[in-house]
Amino acid sequence: MVVYSFYIFDRHTECIYSRRWIPTRPLSASSKTIRPQSGSSITSNGDTGPAVRKGFSKEDDAKLIFGTVFSLRNMVRRLGGDEDHFISYRTGEYKLHYYETPTRMKFVMLTDTKTNNLRVVLHQIWANLYVEFVVKNPLSPVEHPGGIGVANELFEMGLDSFIVRIIQSSNLSPFNTNDNTEIRFSSLNTLN
Amino acid sequence: MVVFALLIINKAGGLIYNREFHSGLNKLSSNDLLILAGTFHGVHAITRSLTPHRWLPESESSPAGKATGIEVLESSTFRMQCFQTITGTKFLLFTEPHQPNIDAILRRIYELYADYVMKNPFYTVEMPIRCEKFDRGLDGFVKAKA
Repeated sequence: MVVYSFYIFDRHTECIYSRRWIPTRPLSASSKTIRPQSGSSITSNGDTGPAVRKGFSKEDDAKLIFGTVFSLRNMVRRLGGDEDHFISYRTGEYKLHYYETPTRMKFVMLTDTKTNNLRVVLHQIWANLYVEFVVKNPLSPVEHPGGIGVANELFEMGLDSFIVRIIQSSNLSPFNTNDNTEIRFSSLNTLN
Repeated sequence: MVVFALLIINKAGGLIYNREFHSGLNKLSSNDLLILAGTFHGVHAITRSLTPHRWLPESESSPAGKATGIEVLESSTFRMQCFQTITGTKFLLFTEPHQPNIDAILRRIYELYADYVMKNPFYTVEMPIRCEKFDRGLDGFVKAKA
């Protein structure tokens, strides 16, 4: 099991916490100014265009992920009724897990494709880490515009150790045949 | 086994075929179905570009250009499998959550499409599919499976 990244979105659609566990390639200084060219390659879906684009900033990534889960959640609700939940989707390269709290906070995690459903794990991150260390923190504001108050030390340490525990327990399972399973901790990028 | 519905989306994101086999999903108006097809087409393209492999060094990443969009979407009441042909047409099959062998079903539907739609001399590509033999072939296949 490999965990690629983790995001929290608040009810105002803002990304209040994001974390990647993969080495980021050094982006050139100009990459900040190059926005993804919406309209040209994103809307045309022919297989000829370059599918893998590099150089999205973290903020762009978070916006794209939010837009994706928002659209899919609405699509699922329209088809399955208001009680239906969007759980996950899988592509050839990764799997995205989704959990939404009753207060419409959204927890999103990207992992490799062989991972089973992580809805329970995301629920535990919310209940045991987010509520304990962010909501109950007297110094943290009620809302978190720009991610203020979310990325505190206790929350981040708790998240790290929780994810390491999950990865270790999944590697011990006899059904796991993937030999490239170590978590990559080489860069910890936190959105502040 | 329960197969709820089949949608076919052309390479421009337009809905060219929809068919309900079994009730279970909400009934959508034809306008809503068109919106759904267009939305899915866009989301599919975005999910292709979101792959985390683009952050990895060149040697570790998967061969460039192989990235695929959404293949399976799971929700609590249904499971949607998407099969994209190399020409960009997408087949979306909605089934119950724990349906086995959807790949084989989609492959067979693609064969029916190739036989009865693409080989139909009166069919214009990328336009809505109105082929009676295709309808009957699908019915026969899905009913036989059920």
